Amino acid sequence: MLSLNSMTNIFPHKHLLSSSQLSRSDILTITSRANEFISNGISAAHRYDLLRGKTVVSAFFEGSTRTKLSFELAARRLGADVLSFTASASSLSKGESLIDTLNTIDAMGVDIWLVRHSHSGAVELMSNFSHCAFLNAGDGQHQHPTQGLLDILTMLQHFGELDGKNICIVGDILHSRVARSTATLLQTLGANVGFLAPGTLLPHDYSHWNITLLKTIDAAVEWADGLNILRIQRERMEGGLLPSLEEYSQFYGVKMIHLQSKPNLLIMHPGPVNYGVEIDHDVAHATQSLIQKQVTNGVAIRMAVMALLAENFDRK
Amino acid sequence: MNIYFSNIRVISPIQNIDERLNIHIQEGLIQYVGKYTPTISDKTRIISGSDLVCSPGLFDMHVHLREPGHEYKETIQTGTLAAANGGFTGVVCMPNTSPAVDSVAVIEYIKSRSKGNLVDVFPCATMTKSREGKDLAPLLSLIEAGAVMFSDDGSCLESAEMMRRAFDYTAQWDALLTQHCEEHSMTRNFAMNEGKVSTELGLKGYPTVAEDVIIARDILLAEYCGNRRYHAAHISTKGAVRLVREAKKRGQRVSCEVTPHHFVLTDESVRGYNTNAKMNPPLRTIEDVEAIIEGLADGTIDCIATDHAPHAIHEKQCEFSNAANGITGLETALGLGLTYLVHSKKLTLNQFIEKMSVNPRKILQIPQPIISVGEIPNLTIFAPDEQWTVNLELSCSMSKNSPFQGIILTGKPKFTINNNQIFSSKF
Repeated sequence: MLSLNSMTNIFPHKHLLSSSQLSRSDILTITSRANEFISNGISAAHRYDLLRGKTVVSAFFEGSTRTKLSFELAARRLGADVLSFTASASSLSKGESLIDTLNTIDAMGVDIWLVRHSHSGAVELMSNFSHCAFLNAGDGQHQHPTQGLLDILTMLQHFGELDGKNICIVGDILHSRVARSTATLLQTLGANVGFLAPGTLLPHDYSHWNITLLKTIDAAVEWADGLNILRIQRERMEGGLLPSLEEYSQFYGVKMIHLQSKPNLLIMHPGPVNYGVEIDHDVAHATQSLIQKQVTNGVAIRMAVMALLAENFDRK
Repeated sequence: MNIYFSNIRVISPIQNIDERLNIHIQEGLIQYVGKYTPTISDKTRIISGSDLVCSPGLFDMHVHLREPGHEYKETIQTGTLAAANGGFTGVVCMPNTSPAVDSVAVIEYIKSRSKGNLVDVFPCATMTKSREGKDLAPLLSLIEAGAVMFSDDGSCLESAEMMRRAFDYTAQWDALLTQHCEEHSMTRNFAMNEGKVSTELGLKGYPTVAEDVIIARDILLAEYCGNRRYHAAHISTKGAVRLVREAKKRGQRVSCEVTPHHFVLTDESVRGYNTNAKMNPPLRTIEDVEAIIEGLADGTIDCIATDHAPHAIHEKQCEFSNAANGITGLETALGLGLTYLVHSKKLTLNQFIEKMSVNPRKILQIPQPIISVGEIPNLTIFAPDEQWTVNLELSCSMSKNSPFQGIILTGKPKFTINNNQIFSSKF
């Protein structure tokens, strides 16, 4: 069993609720811890005891397959007992309030909550009614900090540093917690952030970020060192925010010609991918695409964040 | 009741009174108002008025008493006690009850439940049956039964044609129509004001323009239908202030109200997903607050109304988007107004009393309380300079959903006098 020297960096947070709570040094603490895990190995052959004796509850009040698997795998790699909880199987469908569900599970004796919820602010609400540490695994349209962090880790591995790099987020910015998380982290690390989205999928006021607004995918490719491409949800079209997926693809979709015009352009996507809408199949599988790398980095980032939160637990 | 206030500052704007006087109240009448010392019996309760103001009773034209139907939030009994505790002697209760106030029977029920109270309750009835926006409520019978105005409050009357019919149908009665101004197609599932903060918090926004377009539409309809009486409820935007100002300039019979929270707070209060900062219309930006204060000062905004909206704990202690809209307001309005408008020199005390007492009655065409000998006393006594900390444990409302718990205010209600009853503030 491996053990890392875990007291080198102090992580001054009880919870991870939002990427806006993280300073530059917090972000680098997390990513360097994640890199340590990666170089020591994160496969089943490598188990750590940093969360041994701790119970982690993975509470997904909103459906998700990959994020849930990634979090639970990360918790197990750290030696935690993992309770898994999904909304459809829960008492929430019987009308129990979120706070009551929280109190019930807390009473069973848990230490860390990993929460995915369809309502913005739900994880912060829960953290106000519990003594446990909370890790936001995506709350409504608010934040998904570990997704932002794994994007950052992927970019750092590629670029070395992000100061002055131009990173464009493409797609449904308005409804995206990923965009909110990643944009804030990018700016904290000194990158220039661009947005590319049809006007109906942009927030009315995003002046708290300093954003370069781009008009078409061609302009974005020309401007950017890397593209972070978001998934277009079909319901946006059904809700009348987009006239058609074809038109979206025409003006905002990334195609091979873009990679040909800029061979060193970095391509990222949080998945799952809609081929032919926001990204062509060939682009997603090109050498410039780091989509699979993002998934691997996701496990390492979640291990790093849980390990750092658990250290604060013991320090208390 | 046998009470004597010595050397109290009496302010009655419609009588042009603002001076220190002695007042004696006995046997349900004002026995004496003046500079001399009248003969009073040794049973008279004597109160030094040197730190106090006596004004005509405050009036709140926008209150949710929740009865009938939502008695777990508030009742007419507890709601009017909260009103008295805040210094109000009269309120208009809004019709989004269950059943809605769309029949004479419900009006009669409200009247019977509020009989004998210190606080007078005036019902506002719906414009359309069940507030559904489809068929007109029996507006004429409702007027006869005692409805003082009409509104589908809680939601907006969406159809311009229905609004036009409500104006036309009641034209000969010169009824007052009031609107909850919200273009619903723009606000579906909103959680807060649309702006920088909603972007950061990832909450669905309610754009200011969704309020403005309805006010603009209604002003045009009121004009077209023959300069009808129209009152925009709880306005919250810079645009609304501008539209009402322009309509008044053109001579339209348009009035409007603002709530204390809309001149005190901004959408920054929502941070941390504070559900006691969630209401409809939502808290706006500092630009809107400044425009509202300007509108209060120049007379564009006629009056202050609380939109007192009690909700039970479980309706607020939940996910922000699921939380009920609204906050209680009756007990903090006087203190908030004195602190944020009068002491901050935005309004004179006289102007403030006009907006809290005189103007709402003027808009509703309800008789004004007069402070002179032989009149039935309808008075609010308050300490304009007294500092106090809001403690909702002392609230008379059944619900405590207020963002103002624990804040320090300057100016406090002391006594509320009406219907031959006196209430001493619990604060």
